[in-house]
Amino acid sequence: MSRIWMSIALAALLAGCATQKMSGDQLARVAKDWSLSIRASQVIPVYPLTEDLQPGDVFLVQTPIDEQVKVYLDKGFLPMENLVTRLTLSGYPNFYRGWPHVMDDDTAPPRLWQFPSPAGAAADFSSAPLAAFPTYGFSVSRSEGLNVALPVQGVPIGLNLLDSASANGTISMKDAYTYALPARWTFDAIRSWSLANADYLKQFEPITETSKDGKSVAKLFYLRVVNRVYLVKTVDIALFSNSGFGAGGSAGVPKGVELLNLANATEAAKQLDAVNGIISKASSPKSDDNSAATGGGDAAPAPILAGGSVKIALATSRSISLVETFRRPLVVGYLASDYQILPGGQLAAPVPTLLRIEGKALIAGQAIKYTGCDPNCKLIRTWRKLPGNKQKLDDWLAKNGGIAISDLETGPYGSLRERVTEELIDTSK
Amino acid sequence: MALQLPSTQTGVPRDDASNVVDAMLLDDRVKWISIVFEKTDGGVDHFTVTPFTEHPAGGDKS
Repeated sequence: MSRIWMSIALAALLAGCATQKMSGDQLARVAKDWSLSIRASQVIPVYPLTEDLQPGDVFLVQTPIDEQVKVYLDKGFLPMENLVTRLTLSGYPNFYRGWPHVMDDDTAPPRLWQFPSPAGAAADFSSAPLAAFPTYGFSVSRSEGLNVALPVQGVPIGLNLLDSASANGTISMKDAYTYALPARWTFDAIRSWSLANADYLKQFEPITETSKDGKSVAKLFYLRVVNRVYLVKTVDIALFSNSGFGAGGSAGVPKGVELLNLANATEAAKQLDAVNGIISKASSPKSDDNSAATGGGDAAPAPILAGGSVKIALATSRSISLVETFRRPLVVGYLASDYQILPGGQLAAPVPTLLRIEGKALIAGQAIKYTGCDPNCKLIRTWRKLPGNKQKLDDWLAKNGGIAISDLETGPYGSLRERVTEELIDTSK
Repeated sequence: MALQLPSTQTGVPRDDASNVVDAMLLDDRVKWISIVFEKTDGGVDHFTVTPFTEHPAGGDKS
């Protein structure tokens, strides 16, 4: 039995320092595996998990879209770039009409759920809109240095308790919530903010850089405005041993941990309580805090990693189930809209971030109706094909509205075409 | 200063679709263009022409 206690204590300790031991590559994989799971639900993953992200958060995106797509596909998530502001959004009671405990001002979501009255009361998300995520499967191997592949500490703890070199597992995000404001409303808020902060935004007007091969490359900046977030409070982890870890003279022989002997239910319950007590002590900064084993609610123990407590729910010789509960629900993903910053600090039409980074909505603004090629359009088409004229037209358009040449030629811009003809094209020839 | 990306154009007649595509491709950022049949009006086929800077189905198709 003493070997089991040592294993448990070691498991908890390893969970605490696993992050320090991981190499950069391993950390990257941790982020990607987790993020791929979240992405499968058509949500942009947040990594690391945080509760400090909410609708109205505005990020300045300086990474070119090509690079963002590459990062998103390679790493699985989008790094949060500069947080520019947090819009004071209103309209929750209107959007959630009839929904209990939804207010504006200082108690707008999620504050009332995070910090209900009276002060000091436990977080209560029971009236928040519910969400549900599918159960995700994963594989984990100790040979990869306790690369837990998920930002929850239950996996390395479980792996050590199983005394297994590798395991397959499933993870279920329970007690999931979501809340939002419609993009149309966040549009009004960001538009007002952009008008008041045009001087600031002018710093991020589109610029043209010359690449090494001499080509002009446009550098565009965006504001990313969050309009929906997804939160999770509880994570259930189930691990199934693939093989024995092997130690000492019994190398290669499966050695499942013997936490539970269901034939003796009383003894099993005692052992489970004892194990949970050890885990909570080893993982808590306050080693004498026995409340850790109780789990649940705001009375959960002091945080480790993302601020959760881990409890073993069930253990057999080849499998183990753990429940990890965060002190308060954490944001695991979000949805947002991107606004390109235009000359003068104005904002272009919003494009959903998810579609943009998945390469499905990479066009600017809304569709325009083809208006035909009038005589000025025909003149422009002929003229701009002559050497040097395309650049002249680009330069002129940049100072006169900044629309694309294709929009100028056959879009609803008759007066602009007329000006181009008058100012750039010598029609006397 | 970079120009805005070309907009999607709707109602483009068949005989001018190639010119619209040509104009959209003047922007180096446009890598893909979809031409989707819209309707036949008066015996003339009309299309929606949409520029993309990345493959519309996602992934690296460059």
